[in-house]
Amino acid sequence: MTMDRRSVLGLGGMLAAGVLLAPGLRLVAAPEEATEASDKRRWAMLIDTNQCDPSCTSCMKACRVENNVPLFGDPKRDIHWIRKVELRPKDGKGPDRSLPMLCNHCENPPCVHVCPTQASFIRKDGLVLIDMHRCIGCRYCMIACPYKARSLVYNEPPESASHNRKVPRRAMGVVEKCTFCVHRLDEGGQPACVEACSNEGKGGMLFGDVNDPNSAISQKLHQVLSTTIRPDLGLKPRVHYQGI
Amino acid sequence: MLSEFSAIQGRSSGYWKLVALSSGVFLLGLGAFLAIEVRGHGITGMNNQVVWGLPHVFAITLLVMASGALNLGSMSTVFATIQFKQFTRFSAFLSIVLLIGGLTVLLLDLGRPDRMLLPMLYMNFRSMFTWNVFLYSGFMILCLLYLWSMFEYKQFTKVVGSTAFAWRVILTTGTGSIFGVIHARDVFYSAITGPMFVAVSLTSGTALSTLLLVGTYQQTKRHLDDKLVFGLRNALIFFTLLVGYLFVVEKFTKFYSPAFYEVETWLLTGPWAWLYWLGVWGGCVIFPLVILFHKRLGNTVKGVFIASIITVVGAFAFVGHNLLAGQAYPFDMFPGYQLSSVFLDGQDAHYLPSVVELVLGLGGIGLSALLFLLGIRFFRLLPAKAVPPPGWELPWSP
Amino acid sequence: MDYFPTLATRVSLALLLVLFLGAIGVYPSTAGADPPQLEKPKGERCIRDTNWMRHNHMDLLKHNRSLTVREGKRIRSESLLQCAGCHPNRDRFCDRCHGYVAVAPDCFECHIYPE
Repeated sequence: MTMDRRSVLGLGGMLAAGVLLAPGLRLVAAPEEATEASDKRRWAMLIDTNQCDPSCTSCMKACRVENNVPLFGDPKRDIHWIRKVELRPKDGKGPDRSLPMLCNHCENPPCVHVCPTQASFIRKDGLVLIDMHRCIGCRYCMIACPYKARSLVYNEPPESASHNRKVPRRAMGVVEKCTFCVHRLDEGGQPACVEACSNEGKGGMLFGDVNDPNSAISQKLHQVLSTTIRPDLGLKPRVHYQGI
Repeated sequence: MLSEFSAIQGRSSGYWKLVALSSGVFLLGLGAFLAIEVRGHGITGMNNQVVWGLPHVFAITLLVMASGALNLGSMSTVFATIQFKQFTRFSAFLSIVLLIGGLTVLLLDLGRPDRMLLPMLYMNFRSMFTWNVFLYSGFMILCLLYLWSMFEYKQFTKVVGSTAFAWRVILTTGTGSIFGVIHARDVFYSAITGPMFVAVSLTSGTALSTLLLVGTYQQTKRHLDDKLVFGLRNALIFFTLLVGYLFVVEKFTKFYSPAFYEVETWLLTGPWAWLYWLGVWGGCVIFPLVILFHKRLGNTVKGVFIASIITVVGAFAFVGHNLLAGQAYPFDMFPGYQLSSVFLDGQDAHYLPSVVELVLGLGGIGLSALLFLLGIRFFRLLPAKAVPPPGWELPWSP
Repeated sequence: MDYFPTLATRVSLALLLVLFLGAIGVYPSTAGADPPQLEKPKGERCIRDTNWMRHNHMDLLKHNRSLTVREGKRIRSESLLQCAGCHPNRDRFCDRCHGYVAVAPDCFECHIYPE
């Protein structure tokens, strides 16, 4: 079944043109009865910091709503799957930057390396995920991650009137982080932050399969100069940044 | 000839007061655990910047001292330091009880302690934690075998004792490597972090053994020859110099590389500098050495006792500094930029421990103390009279 | 040698006795009460035989959970979200029986049962 979808993608030119014309367009209209993650895919993100407005937080808001991420009102313990970081040059020269930071879904994720129960794991399509049923809350992954991508759920989350039923609520005492909206990807969709960025922001986030040479993100990664955060650590992150 | 081993009588009110105190502390610790289990880690001072707090400091220090407590045993069994042979049983037993105390705190501080057996089911052999599961349980078994061989099968003492010695070096390297292998953390990413933990285990283990020996013999009004304490002092001096040497090498290597100027300057002058200078250098190296080398203080049991207390406190400071300063230092994700965000990027993390986590940590000490008190009462761990073997003379004194 | 056991021994024996009495069941039990009446399902047929489901639904849920989380395998008709199609009310179906047999699953501490 996934092979079908893969070969559809492989038709290349025509569809790639379509993707370029309408980023965020759903390739598969209705979810199929059974789907499976494909080891042929590698999801990645390219963030154009030139398009990122310091005052815009639509990606953060969309993530909170989509993934039922609660706010406790305590900055030290609030959970952030995605956050906006402001960068100010230390020497005062050059412009300030603003950019979103989220889990980088590394090819060599240190969080997965240190997890004693394999609760943090790499899915076949390269996503770094947490099996919440298996996390013992030891927090070693939070020590190991250089991107501060992870949060522990310190308190019982406040009751909230509205929930996205497709994503579970929080369990106290486990560690969590961005999933690239895996539930949306499995239905052929895009992460909520990317969608919000193109709808409400300036469309600075591009998401797709870098194993597909014709995907918009593959093409753009070849055209523009981009970097990752802390490439010296050798983690090979899959969130790329343009303009820093 | 060495005198007979005998259990302490343990009938005095002082003994029962100590038992009551340590059980009380342990029970309070269990209460703290239940509070954290029910209310969540929100009632501790930990947060998303400092995720390992006081309980980890207590647990890891106890584990470091557990390996160090085997010193007297190893010195006698492996290195034929005959005057300590009478303390080998005590040494192996102390290792076990400290290990139990430390591991208990470590497990009770999990976010989901109800799932604490999952690491046994799904092992990830790349994780230092999984390694440590095997290292700790293996060490516990070896210590038990070591004890057993000393009681029943003397012919195996040498081989089991030597294996336990090798094991404890690997064990404490493993404990230190929990931190040492983490590339993301500039403060403790170093090949020498493991060896530093080993060295600190040597000092703190010897110091704690000295404290407990002197304390036990004084309280039970038995005889512990001063020369034996001074023998321990000499060992402690040697180990402390080793610790100082490793500290210097670590700082020298880090400061040689411009990449570490910022973090190292922060460590030496930043918000955690007090703990570094006072606790790590003062507690682990300088104060003990000054006392132990002192012509008058170094030649009194009291002086050695005080230096030992400082060394044990220094071990807590060493682990605490590694852990807390290591986590408080902000990630430099974009070199050349000052970062700010709602997630507190680019800021030194703040951590103020709460009483609950202090009590949980102390609970581990309570458990170890309780087991120790029961152990010396029910098993023949210590000689009734501790004197140097005939023909042995103290080789050196300040 | 003291023949009479020490205080510690006597206390531990007493504790053991209490535990044993507890284990053989001095507690009030619901045994004998009528099994609960569960709400009649809406649909025509369950995804598995009803009797099989009665005994094995937890294995199915757990198995699919691992497959979905770790392998990304999603079988939409067997998703927890789909149960509500026939059993719209959790209280009158899952919880009623689970209350009766005193088994407390923690699925719904995080997962939201669709209504």
